[in-house]
Amino acid sequence: MKRPLIAIAGLSVLALVVVILPFTVSNYLLRLTTIAFMYIALASSWNIVGGFTGYPSFATAAFFGIGAYASGILRTTGSLSLPVVWLAGATAATIFSLMVGPAILRLRGHYFAVASLVLAAVLREITNAATVLTGGGMGLNLPTAGVVNVDAQTRVYYVSMLIAAVLTVSLAALIWRSRLGWAMRCIEQNEDAAIVLGINTLATKILGFAVSAGTAGLVGAIYATWIGYIDPTDAFDDLLSVKPIIMAFIGGVGTVLGPVAGAIIFLVLEEFVWRNVLNFHAGILGIIIVALLVFMPGGLGSVGRGIVKLRNYWRASRRGEIRAAAPPAVPS
Amino acid sequence: MLYVQILINGILLGGLYACIAVGFSLVWGVLNVINILHGSFIVLGAYLAFFAYTKLGVHPYLFAPIAAFVLFVLGYAVQLTVINRVLEAPVLVTLTTTFGLALLLDNLMLVAFAANFRKVSLNPPLGIIDLSDWFPSLDLIVPVDRLASMLFALLFVSLLYWLLRHTVVGRAIVAVRMDRYAATLMGVDTVKVFALTFALGAALAGAAGALLSPIFPISPLAGTNYLGKAFVICVLGGLGSVSGALVGGLALGILESFGALFLGPEHSLTLSFTVLIMLLIFRPNGIMGKRGFV
Amino acid sequence: MSLRNLRPVVSAVPGASHLRIAVLAAVSVLMAPGSMTCGYTAELPIRIGAPLPLTGALSPEGVKLQQGYELWKDTVNATGGIAVGTVKRPIEIVYYDYQSATPKAVQLAEKLATDDKVDFMFSPFGSGASKAASTVSERYGIPTLAPTASSSEVYDQGYKNLFGTFTANDTLSEPMADIVKAKAPNAKRVAILARNDLYPLALGQEFEKSSKKRGLEVVYFEKYAINTLDHASALTEIKAAKPDWIIATGYINDMILIRKQMADLGIKAQIVTMINAPAYQEFIDATGPLADNVTSATWWHPAVRYESKDAFGSSAKYTELFQKKFNALPDFTNATGSAVGAVLQMAIERAGSVDRDKVRETLVKGGFDTFFGPLSFNGVGQAISYVPPVLQIQNGKPVVIYPEVIKGADLQLGVR
Repeated sequence: MKRPLIAIAGLSVLALVVVILPFTVSNYLLRLTTIAFMYIALASSWNIVGGFTGYPSFATAAFFGIGAYASGILRTTGSLSLPVVWLAGATAATIFSLMVGPAILRLRGHYFAVASLVLAAVLREITNAATVLTGGGMGLNLPTAGVVNVDAQTRVYYVSMLIAAVLTVSLAALIWRSRLGWAMRCIEQNEDAAIVLGINTLATKILGFAVSAGTAGLVGAIYATWIGYIDPTDAFDDLLSVKPIIMAFIGGVGTVLGPVAGAIIFLVLEEFVWRNVLNFHAGILGIIIVALLVFMPGGLGSVGRGIVKLRNYWRASRRGEIRAAAPPAVPS
Repeated sequence: MLYVQILINGILLGGLYACIAVGFSLVWGVLNVINILHGSFIVLGAYLAFFAYTKLGVHPYLFAPIAAFVLFVLGYAVQLTVINRVLEAPVLVTLTTTFGLALLLDNLMLVAFAANFRKVSLNPPLGIIDLSDWFPSLDLIVPVDRLASMLFALLFVSLLYWLLRHTVVGRAIVAVRMDRYAATLMGVDTVKVFALTFALGAALAGAAGALLSPIFPISPLAGTNYLGKAFVICVLGGLGSVSGALVGGLALGILESFGALFLGPEHSLTLSFTVLIMLLIFRPNGIMGKRGFV
Repeated sequence: MSLRNLRPVVSAVPGASHLRIAVLAAVSVLMAPGSMTCGYTAELPIRIGAPLPLTGALSPEGVKLQQGYELWKDTVNATGGIAVGTVKRPIEIVYYDYQSATPKAVQLAEKLATDDKVDFMFSPFGSGASKAASTVSERYGIPTLAPTASSSEVYDQGYKNLFGTFTANDTLSEPMADIVKAKAPNAKRVAILARNDLYPLALGQEFEKSSKKRGLEVVYFEKYAINTLDHASALTEIKAAKPDWIIATGYINDMILIRKQMADLGIKAQIVTMINAPAYQEFIDATGPLADNVTSATWWHPAVRYESKDAFGSSAKYTELFQKKFNALPDFTNATGSAVGAVLQMAIERAGSVDRDKVRETLVKGGFDTFFGPLSFNGVGQAISYVPPVLQIQNGKPVVIYPEVIKGADLQLGVR
């Protein structure tokens, strides 16, 4: 890791803040921070597949939704405790990824992107149709945890999402340092060369997919019990697949801490925009996405480059040359 | 007789689907960009046709070329300013960029037009052709507006085919799709070709929107539905292949119609998406078999 | 200025000097006793939380509800506010946009309860979201009025804080079935196409029950997925089953599409009932001549004639006020938005306080004469006290055909 001192200092400050928070601030801020943890976990989870291996996955919504419904169904039919239900959600999502992974991970590029995107759509329709089990379009109401004290409840979920986030980022860090991570980076750079090197690319990809699924499923499971109501359109929302990607982009795709920073920045932006612009927040999110991807595809690290690009574009348009760069010499 | 009617429904629906998908397929095949904006372009074309009809009395079918032109200009502008900058980036970036643009366009339309559903109610209505009027034993009905859209779909596809095969511009587009670097070497202005292709895709979307305005209710929220269908059709028919969009559209229309009959209407969407996944896994090049060039 | 208003002022001034804060604190402390006296200084407003889908798929409905709330608020605030004992307190409605996503509606309800600390709440739109958010109301003990919750499933959690203005779904199907039996005696076969969603499906099931009860044969009953773009197969099957009475439930765009495709396939029936779209002008505009003779039922219509003791005085007055403010006739969604306000106001005035327990008890007792109709609630909070009118589109205009007292015309049979 570059700049270790800054990173350690930043992490320590964050850790301190995180621990003190439940004792000081309002429930609203606590809830907001819980969402921050959720975003961190999802961004980091996506990063394992999308960042490390470079496979454009849009499957986060699918895993999230499975986790949410698994925990939801178990909570309404049985009387299992929260941690058991959460684990079940993570497991269900992992099993699902192991079922579809071998099939769709053979695809590359666009085909993989479309296949992963469509997973959520298929699951949404199946959930809608399986009314007896899932309540279908009517949604699922989860029983509350029995602890009616609001303050305690908020803190319970604060801690659980925090654990989910820490778990995901730690797994990402572990993978990054391991041979698995190395194999993933090889695949990201040049998959065919990786195969030549003797890496079992399919197994590597499946493993990464499974870890990503498990963590996203865990987050979904906690989310369902937290909100107390889920329905197919919200549990398998496409935005759940896109937002973690944006967050990872903001912070730096393929790094361990990049998604963390990106998630926090994204949440701050989202909250600020939503509070102030009542009926145009989707549009503003769109503008942010486009600006980000066009001018700063490297995330925070390339802010400098992005500014240079803007300046060049401005100069070029002043000179009357609004043309983009010619295609590079080397085929990608 | 029931099955024949369902088949007719499926074919007509397939024509509509082909209208929706042909522009999407073109952009995906040539620029290698999954254009999430496509659904929103269709909706915009439909809105333009709606207002042209209700305020100016222009028939949507007559308005279609105008809608196509407006969207052509818009598409050209969008491509030059935004898409061009991310053209060389991996699919993740391009897909997410068009997603962001779609969010923006949908929200703009929501603010401008409100989410109330509109539809063009043709006066006088085009009506239906009842086959039992001529052949009393054939109890089959064909709605004229869907038939017209089907014919237009064939028209679009043929025009596009002719354009790609027999005009210089078209050959340039195909050349760029085959190998963009080689095309540059041959003196083709790829930047212009990309902009042109994207604009063409948008124009097709706009025309489709105008044709669909008497058939489907219009709202900024309807764009994603069209997009979902376009995805499935492109994969079904073969990516980048214009005739593939037609074949894929027909196949999907028939599949959905019979699927709704045998499995129940609540499963028709599940069916199409499941088919999509199966195809992606087992036969990514679709029914046409190869990544067609025209 | 009360102490409660101090916090945002301070946070808006980052790095405020201690002196500034001290001065502000001193001033507000001095002002505080002022708000205790009656009549002279501005009264503390009564705050009502209202999560609404202002963007997203349900935004047309969200906007309509908001119009209803605003009309009520403005009408009442013009007279000084709601009378609580001897004091009149103005109304303040706290809006949040939950973007048509139910989990977000629940989160926002929680926010309104715990952070904004509203006194009362209005439910979000629709049966599904109302049910989900009612858990929050119950947890915090906040009396909540649901303007758009008709399915009995919403009220089956045994909660004490939920009160809805819509009568149950069977009050839409039963009168309609009676009319069919009376006016179309040779109608025997019924086909039902329902959207796979809480309210439309529940409604479809009620129609099935009502039909069967009267000896009609339900020859077709299927559900269609949300976002279905093509109903041709279902409608072709329906056509083959030769029904006399076709019932379709779903959202506005579904109804527009289904009606169009019915005409596309040449389906004719004696009676076609669609719920709730024909009550909206949008539907009539979008379907044009095809809307004629389509029947529907709705919980309120400008044609009803109720005299009331609420802020509006009568349904005719309400319609007039709405037209003046928004330049359009109110539909039932606008009206129910105003109705929840009217009921809450009457309950507060009767209880003589904004104490939640007292207001809740008053709500339970019922007996509110509003412009929307007389409102009383059953044991689980659903309205049971009025008959929703049945209407039919005749010559491009909705006409009430039931109940007899406000009837505008008779049922016309035969839909092209």
